[in-house]
Amino acid sequence: MKKIKRHSLIERIEHWSIAVSGIILLFTGLGCLPLYKRYYITEIPGFGWTADFYTVTLVHYVASIIFVSAVIFHIFYHGLRKEFGLLPRRGDIKNSFKVILAMIGIGKEPPSDKYLPEQRIAYVGIGLVVLTLTVTGIIKVLKNLEWIILSPQAESINTIIHTLTGFLFIFVLIFHVGVVLLFKSNWPLLKSMFTGYVDEEYAKHRHSLWYRKYKN
Amino acid sequence: MKISRRNFFILASTISASFLFGNKVEAVEGKYATLVDLTKCDGCKGESVPLCVKACRDYNANRFPNPEKPILPYWPRKTYEDWSDKRDKIDTLTPYNWIFVQKVNIQGKEIFIPRRCMHCDNPPCVRECPFGALTKQPEGNSVINDKICFGGAKCRDVCPWHIPQRQAGVGIYLQILPKYAGGGVMYKCDLCKDKIRKGEEPACVTACRSRSGKEGVFTFGIRDEIYALAYKKVREEGLFIYGDKQNGGTSTLYLSAVSFELISKALQDKKERFLMPVHVENKIISKFNPIGKIVLASGAISMIGATLAAFLSKKEKKEACEDEKD
Repeated sequence: MKKIKRHSLIERIEHWSIAVSGIILLFTGLGCLPLYKRYYITEIPGFGWTADFYTVTLVHYVASIIFVSAVIFHIFYHGLRKEFGLLPRRGDIKNSFKVILAMIGIGKEPPSDKYLPEQRIAYVGIGLVVLTLTVTGIIKVLKNLEWIILSPQAESINTIIHTLTGFLFIFVLIFHVGVVLLFKSNWPLLKSMFTGYVDEEYAKHRHSLWYRKYKN
Repeated sequence: MKISRRNFFILASTISASFLFGNKVEAVEGKYATLVDLTKCDGCKGESVPLCVKACRDYNANRFPNPEKPILPYWPRKTYEDWSDKRDKIDTLTPYNWIFVQKVNIQGKEIFIPRRCMHCDNPPCVRECPFGALTKQPEGNSVINDKICFGGAKCRDVCPWHIPQRQAGVGIYLQILPKYAGGGVMYKCDLCKDKIRKGEEPACVTACRSRSGKEGVFTFGIRDEIYALAYKKVREEGLFIYGDKQNGGTSTLYLSAVSFELISKALQDKKERFLMPVHVENKIISKFNPIGKIVLASGAISMIGATLAAFLSKKEKKEACEDEKD
């Protein structure tokens, strides 16, 4: 069967570095809340290090090197290449419902471009959460370095935003992974996030607008 | 919506710059400091409660917690921290007692040490509170906001002296998931924040002077002057100093005729709840900040790399198109 390139190597590296570092950041971020000792996580073999806030935060910092680099790379690389295909278009909300209903077997999916309308909306949601975490996180790094001195209120608000958005990150992560894994129609995309390619048949069927452009 | 490459770049750099430079700069170290001259403290002999302790308790009485009972244990654990039946306890730090006088015996000599929050220059409690409940004020004092404190007690864990104290059954956690998250509110000295904001002294300082006179145990004032006075006494009177280097510097300077190595050891031998370790590393500075610099540097390198990669790939594309035309 003929294959069509969907995810470039750069896109796959961006995705997986954000995914892996994001999960480490989420785990250590939760560890920065005083939760793990109370819930005996620190007593699980191999998790003893989570008892020390300084170690947990240190791992959080190290993982953020990859996360911050990947987020900044993503914004600048695709921004400068004017690849805005994942930004929402008119009618995306209505069409998203159609796509989701079709995933559970009701009605037919509307013809899609490279990305499904639901993916474009999800991208903005995930993107805003990731961007908020990155910006407030960088501010936290800067205030710890004392390179910026925030007013007490500003420091407090920045911290609260970072912590609360961290909880939103849990929701968007579960939503993102859930939608991919639960619906069989999305599995070719998961495969492509590893290999870079989707079957021609899949593209023709699900991304007819993109397929037509590709063929031309 | 069409964004040109030029506008995109301008927008991105404006946003980055506003985060870097757009903040009002206030003094890092804070305006005030306190000198605690242990050579002058006798633990208020003859008084039932040391005057500094009494003044603190009286001044802050209406800020002490009044927990709702029964208090829920910290599920899945069966414990909770409740000091509400020990409100009269004055010989240690509790949510109801923010300063106490510690006593050690060194070489037959009694030394009394008023203990409270040191108000660090780069306070780990403030920097690490995940709820933003702790702030460092321009006056130099670290303050807990009891309205948003969740009572996780992380501030106590990261504090080199483990100063903040927890009371369960009060605070915002009761309105969220009282059984599963949060543990009350943390309490500690905030240098009588409302008084010092008005230019007055903390209650303990004023009360002590009423007994020990002008040259009392405590001298509260402008930080630079207090530091200068402390070092002058170190030089001229051969005293030992504590608090100027510990945890990267604090705004509480202890002076003693006996070395702090000996005091620290005596407290350790007595198995005191509150110790005075001589070597206190500020781990935000020593552990986090070097990595923090790498985070920022790699972000900048990534930005440059992405820009180069974008231009190079576009050039390739263009050349490929031109080749096709040929």
